Amino acid sequence: MNDAQLDAVYTRLCKTMTQLGEAKTSLFLARFALLAIGEMDDANVSLRLIDEASDGIAS
Amino acid sequence: MNKPFKPYPFTAKKYAARVPALEQGVEVKRHDVTIVGGGPVGLAVALGLANHGVRSVLIEADDSVCHGSRAICISRRSLEIIERLGALGGFLKTGLPWTGGRSFYRDTEVLHFTMPQDENQKLPPMVNLAQYHIEQFLLDAAEKRADLIDIRWQTRVKSIDARDDGATLQLTTPEGDYALETGWVVASDGGRSTIREALGLQLEGTSYEGRYVIVDIELESERPTERLAYFDPSSNPGSTVLVHKQPDNVWRIDYQLRDGEDADEAVKPDNVMPRVQSLLDMMGETGAWSPIWITIYKANALTLERYRQRRVMFAGDAAHLVPIFGVRGANSGIDDADNIAWKLAFVVKGLASDTLLDSYSDERVAATHENLSYGTKSTEFMAPPSFAFDLMRTAVLSLAAKHPEVRSLINPRQTSAITYAASPLNVVDRDAFASGPVPGAVLAEYPVTIVEAGHGREAHLTDLAGPSFTALCFTDDGMLPAAFATLAHALRSRGLPFKAVPLSAHLHPRTQGVHAWDHTGRIFERYDARPGTVYVLRPDGHVLGRWRDAQPGDIDAAIARALCASTD
Repeated sequence: MNDAQLDAVYTRLCKTMTQLGEAKTSLFLARFALLAIGEMDDANVSLRLIDEASDGIAS
Repeated sequence: MNKPFKPYPFTAKKYAARVPALEQGVEVKRHDVTIVGGGPVGLAVALGLANHGVRSVLIEADDSVCHGSRAICISRRSLEIIERLGALGGFLKTGLPWTGGRSFYRDTEVLHFTMPQDENQKLPPMVNLAQYHIEQFLLDAAEKRADLIDIRWQTRVKSIDARDDGATLQLTTPEGDYALETGWVVASDGGRSTIREALGLQLEGTSYEGRYVIVDIELESERPTERLAYFDPSSNPGSTVLVHKQPDNVWRIDYQLRDGEDADEAVKPDNVMPRVQSLLDMMGETGAWSPIWITIYKANALTLERYRQRRVMFAGDAAHLVPIFGVRGANSGIDDADNIAWKLAFVVKGLASDTLLDSYSDERVAATHENLSYGTKSTEFMAPPSFAFDLMRTAVLSLAAKHPEVRSLINPRQTSAITYAASPLNVVDRDAFASGPVPGAVLAEYPVTIVEAGHGREAHLTDLAGPSFTALCFTDDGMLPAAFATLAHALRSRGLPFKAVPLSAHLHPRTQGVHAWDHTGRIFERYDARPGTVYVLRPDGHVLGRWRDAQPGDIDAAIARALCASTD
């Protein structure tokens, strides 16, 4: 994926969340995470990404 | 906290209004071209026309160059244009060159970006200078062409009668009112264009809610020139702050207002000073500072559908408003000016059909759409238009320090030269090229040695282009093939500005005439050129067409087709 493609995906993600509304966005992101986990099909990678995504949020 | 304001370190010369010779309230002389608006775009159009020997009248409402905080970043492409307009010296002498920037999230640097810059370049990717400098240097150049550029200060347009054969402008000045007859009008009268309004045209697109306070301050600091962006900084939690250095110890600070903040309150000095002070404290800037100017900004992404309305051509902010993020405002206006000037000159001189002017609209509307697509992305990051963009931005910023793969999303997508890929003027490649600028693109820069009568001087490829059609003829022996010399003579005898320059991979000190020696070998390689290859440039430096084994007839036909270009 090049920078322009990443840009396009990012914008689509933001616009989809905007349309769904703030209340439904957590569920949307949870579903997106599950689908991404399924696509990755790798437990070790999934577990590492869970750690990396949570890293620093608490502070 | 109360600090006295200082003026900008610049004194503008004031100019008086002047009324020309009239007959029954109408100017005696009818003009070919009248430019409304004497900002950077209007001045650049006037200088571009003058390069082709075409006279213009420039109508300016104020009595001097501009005041206040406006454009400050001028791109390499704009500098190339400004060089052709004869005004580069001041820009390079006064402007602060820079090549990149840094973005911070809270206290951590999350992006260090650079703009394209290498040893092949003649000009820096960007210089910072105030718009009053930009206008002054262009005005200095225009005043040297007073035989061709007639500036009417303190003159306002009251109304316009636009027809198929020209226009009549009703003008008002402190010295009296008059009417002016003109063949063509260039409306470069800014975001609140009088001409646009008088013709009942409207800009269309998106206006963003996010607002920025823009503050210019005077501060002595040795900090280098780069673009600094602070997201959620400790000095201004929850906000975004941009910092740019300008010449003469002037600094531009832009900071985002929080949702729900009252704009009128926010720009009051009592509210601005503490925020600036806490930013400077965070940056470690301990020098004394003074405020110069405070204003408020809201991003717009708006454009007219077409930039030609019969005999009226729209350029710059009168035609389109692009967000400040990515610095495409003044730069896209200078590009407009460069595009319209040669086309209008050719039409006025009878060298081209007026359909050539439709290609101005085609090319520059397409350029605006490209500018807006980048500008919109930058704005969605800098002033998130919804909770979702805001949430995702926080995700990107908080991951960026450890995860380089998301950093490109923070990049401000600075302006770069636009390719007119779909231009009706382009000659579609007949031959396959593995590299090199495609039709519609500008030249990629490389050094060359220009050899004349056995003497060489260091130069760059863009130095070979001028306000004319230019054929870059790749040769073995540095000699212009006789058939091309004949073509050049024939075109010039028809009054068409054209030159052909031979390039060679080798130095030929005994060759008669001038040739350009590709002493690094990079031009032949990167343009996928071999002896016989020709690239033809338009007077604005964009590639018209290229051929592997060009015949003079190919070039003659390409230019003839461009000048009668039809856009149907």
